[in-house]
Parts: sequence; structure tokens; C-alpha cells
Amino acid sequence: MRRNRSIGRLLTRAFGTLVLLIVCSGAAETTALVLQQRVVRELSQHVQPLELANADLRSVLGDAQRGLRGYLLTGDSQLLDTYHVARSDYYTSSRRLSGLARDAERDAVTKQLARAETWWALAENQRQAPPRSDLAAQYVTQGKPLFQAFAVENHDFDATLAVRAASLQNRSSRLSAITVAVVVALTLLAAATAVLAALLTTRRITRPLAGVVAVIDRRRTGALDSRADAGTGPTEIRAVAQAVNEMAEEADHARLAEAEIARMRSEVRALGYRIRAHLKVEDAISEAVQGLATTIGADHVLLRMAPGQIGVPPLASLHDEHDDGVLAELARADVTWLKSGDVWADGEPSGGSEPPEAERRAWAAIGGGPVLTVALSGGDECLGALTLIRDHGPAFSPVEVRLSEVVTADLGRGVHLARQYEREQHLVARLQELDVAKTDFMSTVSHELRTPLTSIAGYVELLLDSDAGEVAPPQRRMLDVIARNTRRLRELIEDMLTLSKIEAGSFRTARRPVDLATLANQAIAAITPAAHKGEVNLCPDLAGPLELAADPEQLDRVLMNLLSNAVKFTPPGGKVTVRAGRDGDQVELVVADTGMGIPPSEQESLFARFFRATNAIHQAIPGTGLGLAIVRTIVDNHGGRIAVSSQEGAGTTVTVRFPVA
Amino acid sequence: MTVVLVADDDADIRDLVAFKLEQAGLEVIAVEDGQAALEQARTRRPTLAVLDVSMPALSGIDVCRMLRADPATAGILVIMLTARVQEQDVEGGFSAGADDYVTKPFSPRELVSRIQALLSRTRA
Repeated sequence: MRRNRSIGRLLTRAFGTLVLLIVCSGAAETTALVLQQRVVRELSQHVQPLELANADLRSVLGDAQRGLRGYLLTGDSQLLDTYHVARSDYYTSSRRLSGLARDAERDAVTKQLARAETWWALAENQRQAPPRSDLAAQYVTQGKPLFQAFAVENHDFDATLAVRAASLQNRSSRLSAITVAVVVALTLLAAATAVLAALLTTRRITRPLAGVVAVIDRRRTGALDSRADAGTGPTEIRAVAQAVNEMAEEADHARLAEAEIARMRSEVRALGYRIRAHLKVEDAISEAVQGLATTIGADHVLLRMAPGQIGVPPLASLHDEHDDGVLAELARADVTWLKSGDVWADGEPSGGSEPPEAERRAWAAIGGGPVLTVALSGGDECLGALTLIRDHGPAFSPVEVRLSEVVTADLGRGVHLARQYEREQHLVARLQELDVAKTDFMSTVSHELRTPLTSIAGYVELLLDSDAGEVAPPQRRMLDVIARNTRRLRELIEDMLTLSKIEAGSFRTARRPVDLATLANQAIAAITPAAHKGEVNLCPDLAGPLELAADPEQLDRVLMNLLSNAVKFTPPGGKVTVRAGRDGDQVELVVADTGMGIPPSEQESLFARFFRATNAIHQAIPGTGLGLAIVRTIVDNHGGRIAVSSQEGAGTTVTVRFPVA
Repeated sequence: MTVVLVADDDADIRDLVAFKLEQAGLEVIAVEDGQAALEQARTRRPTLAVLDVSMPALSGIDVCRMLRADPATAGILVIMLTARVQEQDVEGGFSAGADDYVTKPFSPRELVSRIQALLSRTRA
């Protein structure tokens, strides 16, 4: 646990120790300096002046003794003056010595001065004695031991002072040595502490920090599951590691959330495609409801259509809960409060429309979980509302709201398309029914007409064949008229039936490769008897084979109609040319006659049903007026084109072109 | 004398065909529906039968198929009368075993000549 202490405390201790050591060092030095100063002061201001004063006293007393003795032995008064000078100096010297002496020296000084006073007392007596007398000599001898006693005292004091001075000097030098040693030791200790602190800092801060930095680097290079060790190291480093780990967690969360959003987006796109692909409104709605519940995540999904929407189920829900289930109340609530483009989610700013009280009550009844309602729009019209409800869990996020809007928009388009498709299907079915009814009707009509026609034509034939007895010529002429008109009626019926079938496209699927040249030859062969009868010259000009993808029966009908028309409208001695050949990627068929032609004003109406040219009617040439209409329809059905050029009285040329492919 | 069975629900056409065939020297049994045609075919054993395709209840095609299914009547020649010209009707008639067909409106003369052609072919 010691290792886990904070860097702050560690550094505080290290620096504290350093400061303490520096302060100690300073204090030691100052103390040493003060002590030294005291020793020096003692030496210079007390001991040495004392020594000087002591020496001065001895010198003064010595001068006095020598002067007095000389005077007494020689009688020289000059020598007595020396004595007097010394006597006056003595007061000064003795006072100085007494002034300098402290308690410790006072005894020695007093003793010395007492000896000196003793000598001085004798000396005053000697000075009275006459020089070179026996008394004088006697005094000299008497004064000698007294002076000697003073000299001994003086010398002893001097020796004491010398010892004292030496002791003080010794103390001073010892003090210097100790000071140096202490300062050196403290400096070394401070240096060691600094080094230790640096090492500890390196080991306990730099290394764990490097570990955290390495984790950050690893994460940057993609090792996203790397985490810093937040369990060891100093508190601060652990806090940094913890922060790094939390940031990593947050970044991972953000990344996961982004991936989730991307997944939802792609799911929503796919869902949109599926919704719009449905051709039935119910299927599109069911796809959207199921898909929203799965993709966005909702426990209940309810679609309510606005009133007046036809062709759409009014309600749809995920598990049919709108039908006596938990959504029953909401299903009854009105949706007209929503406008096209509106979105309402709790916690999100609303698009202007606020849900009414009934709506809110219904939500509360479901459980009070998060609710999201999006208007289902078709163009500017609000078709209904799609509501997503969660029983528990988080409110719908802005992304989920946006994606729900996207899905709802897709559903709106899907519903619109499906309804349109259903309407069209309905129309197509209706048209098909009509077509079938028409074909049936035509078929029935033709059948019903054929039966009476069979009787009429059959009995007329019996009469004309004289099977029921001879017929008089006028009666025969009348029967001929009946027979001719019966034939015409029959042709009309056949042509009408054919036209109705071709127009209904019944033959459209029967296309296969056919050779137009072969078909034309067969048609020419079939029409030859009629041409002979009408004395019309047939001139075929066919460059076969001419292959086409066509219905051979219909193509045969085109050939027969065109050829029979040409022969019918060409007077005896005339000519009918049939030419067929390839022209690029087309096959061209030309039927040209030298017949009566068509008046220019009537050429436009040539292909209309029941149209008959006025000159043909005048000349009583039979026809139904449906032949060219049939030809035109067949040519159109084959992707071909038909053109007629005609000059009245000179002839008509019909040109038909079919694409080869 | 060759016996011919004529079945058509339209009395006028039935009379027309019967009259023309009798004129051509054939013995005619005329009936108005498929059931009667089957009964007559089984009892009278005609050489040839002219059957209208569209008759109520039993159609000409049904009758033809039943005649062919019964060995006793399988050899009877059959000509169908049809009001339709569509291929499937004709094919239906032939697949049921008809020998020939004539579309309405037909010429009585043509019908007789077709019958005679069939008869002479089988006799030969």
C-alpha cells in the first residue's frame, strides 16, 4: 500500500526533507560563527588586554625598584626621579588591571596588588633613608624578597592568562573543524535526498504514466479493448488511468451507438424497398408495422387511417391489439389533430400540432411508456397516423424519430402506389370482363344469326335447285336476290366476328416464322378462279423467301382481302399485280390493280368500318365495308404500316410494310 | 337402303337436311336431341349420322364420343354440323371421332355431296 501513496505527498516529503536539511545546515553554520566570534572577542577584548596590563604593571614596578636601588646605592637623584615616574605610572597601571579583572581573576589581581603595596610601603621608607648608608643597604636587602614576592604573583598571573589564551584558540579551531564537518555532512545528505526523490519520482510517476500513455497509443492504433491499469501506482496516476478508461468506455459506447444507427439506417432503407414493392395496400401496411417494431424497437405499433380513406383497412396493429386489446382505446381516438408531415414524440419539440386530451388518455391507458406518432402522408394529404409505443425503456431518440419518419414516408408512397395499382388492376379486370363479355356476345350473336341464316340459305337453295318443283323465271330472280343478300349478311357476320376477335388481341400470341412469298402464292392460287371469272389478269412478282414473324392465318386474311378487293374492283381485261420483296429490314407487299379507283375525298376514310366507296355502291359491287378495317388492324397488330394510293378510274395500289424482326 | 340419322335441335334445319337427303335417295331418321340420337343409333344402326354440335344436354361431340366408345355403334360414319369456325371446335369434333364437318350456314347441296363421298369411300 506504501506504493500507492499520492505523488503530492511524496514530493512534499522529499522537498520538506531538503528544506529541513538546508535550514539545519544554515543554523549549524550560524551557531558556529556566533561561538567563534565569542571566543575571539574574549581573547582580544579581555585576555590579551589583561596580559598587556599585567606586563605593564611588572615593568612599572621593576622600573621603580631599579630606580630606588640605584638611588640608594649611588645617591643619584636622577634615579629617584625614575622611581617617582614609576610611582605615578603604577596608579594608572594598577587601576587598569583592576578594571579589566573579572570575578575569576579578581583574587589573583588583588593578591598581586597587595604584594605591590607592601613593597611600595617599604620603598617609601627606603626613599627617606640617606643614600649609600647602611640603613639604605639594609633596606635594599629587606626590599628584595618583597619585590620577589610580587614578581612571583605577577608571573603566575601571566602564566594563567597565557593558558587561558591557548585554551581559547584551541576551542576556536575545534569549532571551525566541527562546523565544516556538519555542513559537509548536511550538504551530502541533501544531495542524497534530492537524488533519492528524483529516483522515486521516476519509478513511481514516470513508469505508470508511460503505461497509461502506451494504452492511449494502442487504442489510437486500433487495439480498442486496451485499458489502463487503474489499480496500482500513485493516486494521481490511478486517477489519470481511471479517466483514460472512462474516456475509452465512452468512445466505445459512441462507436457502438454509431454502428447501431448505421445498422438501423440500412435496415430502414431495405424496409422502404420492401414496403414500396408490395402491390397490395394491406401487405405494404403489414410490412411497415412489422418492420418498424423490429427495426426501431417498439412493443406496440398502431396505424390509424384518417376518416374517408377508402381502399385501405382503417386500423392495423402489430398483434391486432387494436381489436379489443391494449390499443383499443387509442384505436378509437381521432387522428385528425395531425397534419401532413407532423411528428409527435414525448420529449421532442412537436411539429405544431398538440395531441388532444382523448389521445393522451389513451396513451396513459397503455402504460405511459414512450410514444411516437408520425403522420402518414400521401402528397399534402394526411392519410392517417402511425403510432409506436414502448412499454418500458428509453424515449425515442432523435435518430429513431427521424428513421420512423423515413419509414412512414415510404409507407405513404407505398400505400399511394398500391392503391393506384389496385385501382388500375380493378380497371384492367373490368376491361377484361367487358372484353370477354363482348367476345362472348359476338360469338353468341354470330351463332344465333347463323342458325336462321342456315335455314334461309338452305331453303332458298332448295327452291333454286327446283327440289320443291319448278320455279318461274321472275320467282328465280327474286330468289337470287334473297340468296345474294343472305350471302352478304353471312359475310358481314363473319367479318364482324373476325374484327372483334382481332381487336381483342385473341390472335396476338400466334406469331411464328412464316414465308410471305409462300403465303402470297397460295393466296394467288386461291383467287385465280375468281380472277378468271372476272377476266382479270393476275401478275405475280414475288422474290422469296421472305421470312417474317407473324400469324400465318391473319397474314393470309390480309392477302386474301387485298387480292379479292383488287379482283372485285377491276373490270374485265384489267390487271392485278402482286409484288413482294425485301426492303432493308422490312418486307414490302404491293397489290396494284387497274380498277375503278377511289375518289380522292374518300381515301382518308378507307379503313373505317363499314365504309364503302361511293362508286362501288353505285356499281352495286358487293362488300361488307369491313375488309380493309380488318387488314389495317392485322397490319397494326404486327407492327406494320399500310398505305393506299389511288386514282379514280385508273387504279389503286395498296402497299403494306412489315418489320422483319 | 342406306339409313342416315339426323340430329339437330332446330326443327327448320332438321327438316331441311331430312328433305334434301330423302331427295338424294337416303332413308332419314330425324331426332331433336342427343339422347334420342344415341337411342336411334343403337336401335336402328344407321350407316351415317349428321350431328349438330350445339344441342342442349348431350352435344353432338358427346354423342359422337359415345358412339365410338360402344363397339356396336363404333362403325357409324359421323358428320358434324357446327356454327363455329374456330379451330378448337373442329379439332374437338375430330378428336371425338367425327369423319367430317360442315360449318353453318352450309349449302344442302354441299352436305349431300360430302355424305355421298363418305359413303362411297367406305363402300369401296
